[in-house]
Amino acid sequence: MRISVKLFGAEALAAGAAEAVIDLDMPATCAELRKAMRAQAPALAASLDWARFAVNGRYASDDEPIGPGDELALIGLVSGG
Amino acid sequence: MRTTDAIKVRITDGPLPDAPARNADGECGAWVVFEGVVRRDEGGRAISALRYTAYEPMATNQLAELAGSILNTHGLVRVEVEHSRGQVPVGACSFRLSIGSAHRKEALAAMDEFIDRMKQDVPIWKEPVWA
Repeated sequence: MRISVKLFGAEALAAGAAEAVIDLDMPATCAELRKAMRAQAPALAASLDWARFAVNGRYASDDEPIGPGDELALIGLVSGG
Repeated sequence: MRTTDAIKVRITDGPLPDAPARNADGECGAWVVFEGVVRRDEGGRAISALRYTAYEPMATNQLAELAGSILNTHGLVRVEVEHSRGQVPVGACSFRLSIGSAHRKEALAAMDEFIDRMKQDVPIWKEPVWA
């Protein structure tokens, strides 16, 4: 199914968009999402080596499951303060 | 905004207003306050403002979790965090961390740790508005 992943900061600039739209079979894990994004969003390849995912507003490990309706975000380097 | 007796977290549109009146119940023998102010250059190039983006409600929740963790680790009395989103002009305040504790040492140590951890984990971004 087609899902969207929110992007911010340098990742939004690299992609030229505030979200990445990715085709991914559900249910999946964050690791599978990372792999799918590497293939489908090459502009984000460098960040995908280390950036974290947030699922429904919380940081998620790569083995965390994701499903339809989850809010997904790719969190790169933050720069508050 | 997230508020308990010991923790206050607020993300505000635009520059932060002046610091609110401090709780004067006498529980804190020390208040350490850090204010981050927008500098006039970024990497040697002049800017007119910084524009902040926060991923909400995750940013507020992360700040509140961090405040709670720091409060417990250092045995503090109060942790109050304010952060801007949107555009903040040069010279204006975009971040304020106020830490109240019985004595100064724990508040000073907590200040550094909070800011270091915020810059790793709290989903807030800034971008320069070039002059």
